Amino acid sequence: MPAPRSRLTRAWKGVVASLCAVALVAPACSTDEDRLTIYSGRTSDLIKPLLDQFSEDTGTKIDVRYGDSADLALLIDEEGDRSEVDVFISQSPGAVGFLDEQGTLSELDQSLLDLVDDDFHAGDGEWIGLSGRVRVLVYNTDLVEESELPGSVLDLTDEEFVGRVAVAPNNGSFQDFVTAMRIELGDDAATEWLSGMVANDSPTYSNNTAIVEAVTRGEVPMGLVNHYYLERALDDDPDLPAANHFFDEGDMGSLLITTATAIMAGSDQTEDARSLVEFLLSEEAQRYFSEETFEYPLARDVPQAESVPALSTINTTTIDLDGLGGGLARTAELIQDSGLDR
Amino acid sequence: MRRRAPVALSATSVLVALVFATPLAYLISRVAVGDVRMSSVVSDDRVQDALWRTIVLASLVAASAAVIGTALAWLVARSDVPYRRVFAVLVPLPLVFPSFVGALALRASVSPGGLLESVLGPFGVDRLPQIDGLFGSWLVLTLFTYPYVQLPVAARLRALGPSIEESARMLGRRPLAVFFQVVLPQARTAIAAGTLLVFLYAVSDFGAVDLLGYPALTRVIYANRVLRRDLAMALGLVLAIVALIVTIAERRVGRNAAVAQGLRTKHSLTVSLGRWRWPVFGLAVFFLLNAIVAPVASLVHWTRRGITSGSLEVGDADLWTPVLNTAGISMVTALVAVVVVLPLAFLATRYRSRVAGPALTMVVAGFALPGIVIALSMVFLSLNTPVLDAFYQTFPLLVLAYVVHFGAQSVRAASVAVGSVPGRLDDAARMLGAQRWRRLLRIDAPLMAPGLAAGGGLVLLSTMKELPATLLLAPTGFETLATRIWSATEENALAEAGLAALVLLVVSGLLTWVLVVRRAELLD
Repeated sequence: MPAPRSRLTRAWKGVVASLCAVALVAPACSTDEDRLTIYSGRTSDLIKPLLDQFSEDTGTKIDVRYGDSADLALLIDEEGDRSEVDVFISQSPGAVGFLDEQGTLSELDQSLLDLVDDDFHAGDGEWIGLSGRVRVLVYNTDLVEESELPGSVLDLTDEEFVGRVAVAPNNGSFQDFVTAMRIELGDDAATEWLSGMVANDSPTYSNNTAIVEAVTRGEVPMGLVNHYYLERALDDDPDLPAANHFFDEGDMGSLLITTATAIMAGSDQTEDARSLVEFLLSEEAQRYFSEETFEYPLARDVPQAESVPALSTINTTTIDLDGLGGGLARTAELIQDSGLDR
Repeated sequence: MRRRAPVALSATSVLVALVFATPLAYLISRVAVGDVRMSSVVSDDRVQDALWRTIVLASLVAASAAVIGTALAWLVARSDVPYRRVFAVLVPLPLVFPSFVGALALRASVSPGGLLESVLGPFGVDRLPQIDGLFGSWLVLTLFTYPYVQLPVAARLRALGPSIEESARMLGRRPLAVFFQVVLPQARTAIAAGTLLVFLYAVSDFGAVDLLGYPALTRVIYANRVLRRDLAMALGLVLAIVALIVTIAERRVGRNAAVAQGLRTKHSLTVSLGRWRWPVFGLAVFFLLNAIVAPVASLVHWTRRGITSGSLEVGDADLWTPVLNTAGISMVTALVAVVVVLPLAFLATRYRSRVAGPALTMVVAGFALPGIVIALSMVFLSLNTPVLDAFYQTFPLLVLAYVVHFGAQSVRAASVAVGSVPGRLDDAARMLGAQRWRRLLRIDAPLMAPGLAAGGGLVLLSTMKELPATLLLAPTGFETLATRIWSATEENALAEAGLAALVLLVVSGLLTWVLVVRRAELLD
């Protein structure tokens, strides 16, 4: 018995020692004053090379925390006055819009806002779009004939689509799409479409990844997602029997959803923060979004990738929270009331 | 006759309980300042429906995990099933699958169009049932949570000397009768403790129910967490209240457990399965096929096709840092979790104390809250407490958050472990003049070790897959395997996610073997 016990003690001693070391060192290394702190809802795969490039070019030291956009927005709100965050990068307008409503963002100056079309920044100038993803109907090419594909997203409530179109009711992009529908067609039309999808027994999934995975497997023939998830799946396996269907020109269904960035009102590095936003809208960065991450560049005059339809053929309504009663919260309520999420 | 507790022990326990009460305090304060009234929340039909679905799911999962966990524990601790040691290492592993990727992988294997269908195709099976809803969530959660029962029960059986079972056998009881009349009553506290953990885990789970389309209460919390935060927090409070009620109820059931004390001997008892040896082996293998092989098959499939197409360069994946981070922080957390809850376990088990019950309840009930609520509450605690605010987004606070989230797992195991030390040994040592610390080190520690290792093992495996607190509270740039998997899944980079999840499985298997299984065997 004594031998094993002493071995046990030795192992634990090592662990205790490392814990103490960690406890002593950690606080000391977290208080660097002149670093630019970034909370990024875009994962490191989708933006780290750009941030590193910026840091190298300008000599600015950066600290980046990656996470879910909504959770990071909650974290910033929880941090309140003590927040050291300078720049927030969001996967969707929802999270950045939440911070806008809380009054935690600062107004961007006009020269920055002018880098993109008016559709791609907030009405109050507190956030600006970085890149775009388009809503599409992803479909399994073994199970769906091209002739069956609808011209409008509104057709999906037709009888022929019963049980065949997957949706992700709690996903931010789906909610943004419903919000856009409310803006263009009104709450009643949006509610009617949602009930139509419910009546059609549309299967629900948790997010875009789950829908694309299920469609490529053939579990469900079609699904409403952002265009870029399939690109990523085809990257892993070019033989997957799936394709993106873009709705007709100008249709509600092919909404462009922007990823966005904002500078915090409490930032003490506004100069560096501004340079970063400017850099992210520079041709170099915008080309990265278009060529490396399969997204639409939003800065004026930057060409898009060839694999996706031209931006001019796509409905580019942005979601203007200011002009919409109840905003995204009302959308979430409509979706919950519809019973789609069951 | 239990003695009155030393003041220092009581005071320490109260302090520990207060820290564990942080999530509850956070929820109460959020709801208090918000404009959502609890009364209107709980009377809402849809909230009641969601709550009911949560309770149904958690009850079903708890029941099945209790049966499976106990059976597998007995199998690895007592039977002569072939490859018993291999089973001992493999059986706890499903606990390490983060539910968002575990459920995705399992579904990709056994759902329509999945890998299993292509295997069964030649045998005339062409459409498997879809894994989703209540059935799918029950299946996935049972497969990924039964180790909460299996590890503590196996530890209890190891700590329990075989003498009673041997006596029962010699008195003519058949093996099955021995199991039901001797083993089960002795393992009852461990089974109840593990089952409670499973129930609370199922209540708090978001990843699996979200992916499998079962609208439990956590989905409503997540769906509203940003835009209707007051509502989400009020719903969190509802979960906390359910957890408190269930935890208190379980304590009442477990309280009267009489623990017999078998004589510990050098040899451990092995029950011969006789002609059932290979059928039982087959059954256990079939079970692991579902719990481990099915999800792993998808992970391997994703990884392989990424390598084939060239989208995944294994050499460039650079997983060493996340591996070391994951292993390091989870070992530290497991140790801290065991040490922190030990005073509570002693207080509750050895002494008469009024604070022990509420303190234990506080530690356990927090496990029913979704990870994001725990993470935000630790942010709140850190930023609003002098001294602690200096530790915001540093390792000590991250470890504290993990411990608050997973302490429930070690406290139940620790209580069972303390309870399984024969009081008469301690009394004998005291009469021989041994001081308290000497008794603790020489008598209690060795006897408790298997139980504590099991509790620490649960914390270890849980910490390895933790996501919300890691993303919000880790020092900048601290990557774990779980954050890697999450990030890849977010972008639908399944090859990367698959590789990182496989590595997570291997690392956790190694750590379980070295720190939990092998330790327990050495101490036999």
